[in-house]
Amino acid sequence: MRYRALAILLLAALAWVARADEQAFTNRATDLKERAAPDSATLASLPDNTSVKVIARGGGWTHVEAAGKSGWVNVFHLRFPATVEGSSSSGSGLASLGSALGFGARTDQARLATTGIRGLSTEDVKNANPDPEALARMQSYRADKPAAQRFAREAKLAEAHVDDPTKAGAK
Amino acid sequence: MKKLLLAGLLALAVPGAQAIDFGSILNKAIDTGRQLQDANHEFTQDEEIALGDGLAAGFLGAAPLRKDAELQRYVNRVGKWLALHSGRADLPWTFGVVDTETVNAFAMPGGTVLITYGLVRRLNSESELAGALAHEIAHVVKKHQLQAIQSDKNSQAWAELGKGLASDAIARRGNDPVGLKNWGANAGVELLKNGVFLRPLDRSMEYEADKLGVVIAARSGYDPYGLVAVLEMLAQTKSDGSGLSVLDTHPAPADRLAELEPFMPAVEREVSHPQQVEARFRKIVGAP
Repeated sequence: MRYRALAILLLAALAWVARADEQAFTNRATDLKERAAPDSATLASLPDNTSVKVIARGGGWTHVEAAGKSGWVNVFHLRFPATVEGSSSSGSGLASLGSALGFGARTDQARLATTGIRGLSTEDVKNANPDPEALARMQSYRADKPAAQRFAREAKLAEAHVDDPTKAGAK
Repeated sequence: MKKLLLAGLLALAVPGAQAIDFGSILNKAIDTGRQLQDANHEFTQDEEIALGDGLAAGFLGAAPLRKDAELQRYVNRVGKWLALHSGRADLPWTFGVVDTETVNAFAMPGGTVLITYGLVRRLNSESELAGALAHEIAHVVKKHQLQAIQSDKNSQAWAELGKGLASDAIARRGNDPVGLKNWGANAGVELLKNGVFLRPLDRSMEYEADKLGVVIAARSGYDPYGLVAVLEMLAQTKSDGSGLSVLDTHPAPADRLAELEPFMPAVEREVSHPQQVEARFRKIVGAP
């Protein structure tokens, strides 16, 4: 139990990654907390489907504005409506289904993204000519173990023992 | 008998071996296709790596490697550090960012992981990148793609693969059509062409990769909620209609989040000083 409290404290000490005013909704009745910790004071009780504005994220908590207050909500107690295009194409659900089933071909124009990079279709991959030179180039960027270890030390990445949850007998 | 077939196959794989009797080659290739498709066939690590090389070479023919050496090296360091905590540290782990706006990442047997630039530029920290890469690493560790290509529903594709390899690749263009010097790699190319590799994996495999991915990221010192943040971002993203968006090839993000929720407290208990690493990520990837 002491370890758990410690872990929560340490998680709360994470830097928060700011987000640009994303809209989200509570996916159940939940509490708006004063701090990013389950035992902190409750600022407001938010009913299911309450609209919130996301300010930042980090660890298991999301910093939001809701009910006129700024506070923290459990990261799993929010749902996010699909509002952002995966690319500039206007892919409807039906079109994606058609494409996944191998028909309903999309034009190149539809897959041109705003950045000028084309989206990738199933047909593109099936019809591609293999590029062994690109494979070799990619493999030339491999990192060896010492490089990865140095890289981890630079960011103070501390190894932890965590059991494989998918193996029988795991805790 | 199996050993004999494999030996025949390996003879084909020897670089420089001259293919003379196309009829015999055709039969051997078909036999080998059947053999590899056999669910009881255990892929050796070398076969797994060769298959992955072929798949990756095919994939790179459709989606070029992004011309940014700094980014490619960065992603390889994050990926290798994660892979060292995956239980299969001995594979020749290779990570590549491919230049497409489609949002997804792909794991090849043998330890090659491709992530699209469309996904990378939507991430906000190294821990989110680690979450996405660790999910793919988990697929490799659990050999999900190998299981999928050996499943019954792909038996027809395997029969065709054998014929395709022999009649097209081997007989017409010599026994090493793409310069990969290996039958397994050519099989990988064919698996991409016939669409077997592009089929979505079972939902249970995706949920398993999410959980093991979270564990691999946590073991490596990253905030285990990195993958959760990626899934939340994906929940806000619409498919680009390409058929290869992560939203086309994976269960809905909300379903994946629901599967992860009860699992997270146990992982959280084990970690100390988890890091998000935002500054280094921004320096390499650029501003949002």
